Amino acid sequence: MSERFTIKLDGRSCRAAPGETVLDVAGREGVSIPTLCHDPRLEPAGACRTCLVEVAGERRMQPACAFRVRPGMDVTTASERIDRHRKVLYGLYMADHRLDDAGLPEENGSANMLREQAARNGALALPPVNASRTGRPADTNPYIRFDPELCILCARCTRYCDEVEAVSAITLTERGASTTIGTIGNAGLLDTSCELCGGCIDTCPTGAMTEKKSYGIPHAELEAVRSTCNFCGVGCQVDLNIHAGRVVKVASPPPGETVNDGNLCVKGRFAYDFIHHEERLQVPMVRGRDGELHRASWEVAIRRAADGLLAVRAKHGADALGFVSSSRCTGEENYLMQKLSRAAFGTNNCHQCAAT
Amino acid sequence: MTNSIPEIRDADLLFVIGSNTTEAHPIIAMEMKQAVRNGARLIVADPRKIWMAEIAERHLQLRPGTDVWLLNAMAHVIVTEGLTDNAFIEKHTKGFEAVREALLPYTPEGAEEVTGVPADDIRQTARAYAATPRAGIYYTLGITEHTHGTDNVYALANLVLMTGHLGVRSAGMNPLRGQNNVQGANDSGATPMFYPGYQRVDDPEVRLKFESAWGVALPPKPGLNLNVMMKAMARGEVRGMYVMGEDLVISEPNASEVEVGLNNLEFLVCQDIFPNETTRYADVILPAACFAEKDGVFTNSDRRVQRVRKAVEPPGEARADWEILCDMARAAGYLMPPYASASEIYDEMAALVPAYAGISHERLEENVAGLQWPCPSAEHPGTETLHLGGPLIGKAGFQVVQYRESDELPDGEYPLVLSTGRVLYHYNAATQTIREPGSMAKAGRNFLEIHRRDAGRLGIEDGQMVTVASRRGQVQAEALISPRMRPGCVWMPMHFADSRANLLTNDAGDAVTGTGEYKVCAVSVRA
Repeated sequence: MSERFTIKLDGRSCRAAPGETVLDVAGREGVSIPTLCHDPRLEPAGACRTCLVEVAGERRMQPACAFRVRPGMDVTTASERIDRHRKVLYGLYMADHRLDDAGLPEENGSANMLREQAARNGALALPPVNASRTGRPADTNPYIRFDPELCILCARCTRYCDEVEAVSAITLTERGASTTIGTIGNAGLLDTSCELCGGCIDTCPTGAMTEKKSYGIPHAELEAVRSTCNFCGVGCQVDLNIHAGRVVKVASPPPGETVNDGNLCVKGRFAYDFIHHEERLQVPMVRGRDGELHRASWEVAIRRAADGLLAVRAKHGADALGFVSSSRCTGEENYLMQKLSRAAFGTNNCHQCAAT
Repeated sequence: MTNSIPEIRDADLLFVIGSNTTEAHPIIAMEMKQAVRNGARLIVADPRKIWMAEIAERHLQLRPGTDVWLLNAMAHVIVTEGLTDNAFIEKHTKGFEAVREALLPYTPEGAEEVTGVPADDIRQTARAYAATPRAGIYYTLGITEHTHGTDNVYALANLVLMTGHLGVRSAGMNPLRGQNNVQGANDSGATPMFYPGYQRVDDPEVRLKFESAWGVALPPKPGLNLNVMMKAMARGEVRGMYVMGEDLVISEPNASEVEVGLNNLEFLVCQDIFPNETTRYADVILPAACFAEKDGVFTNSDRRVQRVRKAVEPPGEARADWEILCDMARAAGYLMPPYASASEIYDEMAALVPAYAGISHERLEENVAGLQWPCPSAEHPGTETLHLGGPLIGKAGFQVVQYRESDELPDGEYPLVLSTGRVLYHYNAATQTIREPGSMAKAGRNFLEIHRRDAGRLGIEDGQMVTVASRRGQVQAEALISPRMRPGCVWMPMHFADSRANLLTNDAGDAVTGTGEYKVCAVSVRA
């Protein structure tokens, strides 16, 4: 790696490394620059223009997300010129964003970075523009909803689909004011290379991409509990979003914090219906003399289970017992299962599906 | 994994063998895609032209079950062309001379005959692997689910050791674990040979330690692994079973034998979250909480211990598995301590295993990215890359590995080779994912992938229902004519209870691990 050097950021001297962007350095120095199209998982696009900053010697303002640092450069992130630019820009986005005055309806739980930033930075009031973007109303996929009225074409979703998930199922289609997020032949996502990972929803800054399953649940009413995904062995961290005692949405922690770097797959993000499924086992069952399984109390069921295994041991010895633990259960539970097998029943016949 | 998942994107070469990463480990696949975007070379060895093969610079489409020949031939090239890391071999390994001798017959040309992989591809792969300092090996069940699974792993380890690709960031030996907590289940001692932390049950000193901790005499004889347990059950040697969170009938090979065994049992307890094919045989069914309804930890593929937190209440009267297990132990007359929480159970285990001594629920609250063992003290940050200062065991041993054929090879009656595996949209026995609309919309029923040439010869059209038969059973599935297949090979997912791939599979097990030969059995297919 080549030598680090110094740049000026709002008059302060800051260390920087070759290849870094202005936004990288600003982030490290605690200088806040608004962005919409930026996602640390993606190549910089410089598309949304919210992060424009002044660079001494450059006639035009430059996108902090894509502009690489140079030794001795002098960057200004707050000025009257930048303010003016942002007010016009947010005004244009909001005019094209949604036809109602209030912006996004409150019941839409998706984070709306655009609306928050427009409120914070001030948006010039402009008459609404009715752009003719089309969605895919006939798309029957059960998870991903696209509302073209809320899209600002920052292309985070399509770039995520290309660069991170690498299936390129969605893309910018049409031209000019009709430009939208489309698929080949405007097919439903189930008929494309889409793997329903939902990364497009995760990265969307405007609520144009949302989850069908949790749509309409007020964001403020969700409680998030951090946990670990229960499917494969990657160990993705998840936030289980709870509403009225049920898991209604699963999201990833932000990029950069955990092993999954903000990403989830179709199972981790969406396959949680099983948790509250009506076919879950809910009561202990004991087989009766009639050969059928009957509902029993916990006391009866545990007694019966222990007696049944003890009887086998009395008759055939401890090694006629087998204990199958589970790589689906927790570490503590696996610890207890082998302890049960060894200490309570006296056999090392204890294994789990590691070899399966 | 000797490396960690975040190291993947910085690798310069990925050798992915027997891992359909995009379907079985989608998020690790994202890291691999990132590495390739960053310029890493990707070489895939797999009998199927899987998704990763599409973006690889080279795809070694070997015949199923010929991995040892392929890997030994790579090692042959490295040895004969002088590409070994002699300083590493000298300092950190033993047994190299015997392996060098044993490798001599494994020429790339010989490998081409057996594996079907062109000799030049093998040479180029071996050279690239040996010459790239940050070269990582990634494998999954395509390596282990063979009667020679342990040999496959040894052959890979030989490659790692002779090139010194160990204890280096982004270079190492990386088995990708299939289940959320398969690493943790083994770490916790749910295994017939080891107490928690891989401490041997037949070591008297170790046993004494656990006897004094648990206050009871413990059995000295190692137990049966699952594969052997299933056979012992069928023979009537195992008469009582306690099964927590596994559907044996769907998951184990040669399912009809498993069902014979379950029928033979005098007593069966099942503890699960859904009724399944195995609970039908149960004498007692205990309803358990799922992961969202209880506290604990899972340990992932890169040895990362992470929290599972209770978010919602279990349905009906269902209870956390750990609570049920405590009650079971007490009902059987063992004084299980009165744990107030999963955290206390973890502390008890951590006190018995030096490598986890520094890990606790408390510390995991502050460490949002988890703690990777070995983590021997409360001040230790955890271990991202294993073997950094040389192999943990001192000197790592090379293993001489000779090629053996798979247990069951195709013949006139069963002319095709069947491998089984997973699809992205389902998870193992699919008790969770068959209840999910997206999974069912994308993969709603069983199918058999078959090469166009075999389908044509058998008069089978795409989408047609076919009967697949082996010596052990038969199932119906929809034929999917697929350019991913090798001629002579067919492939089927293992998820579907109404069309069970494991009625077909061979339960001949690896001599060391007992793992069944899910990846190779002989079948016939007819319209």
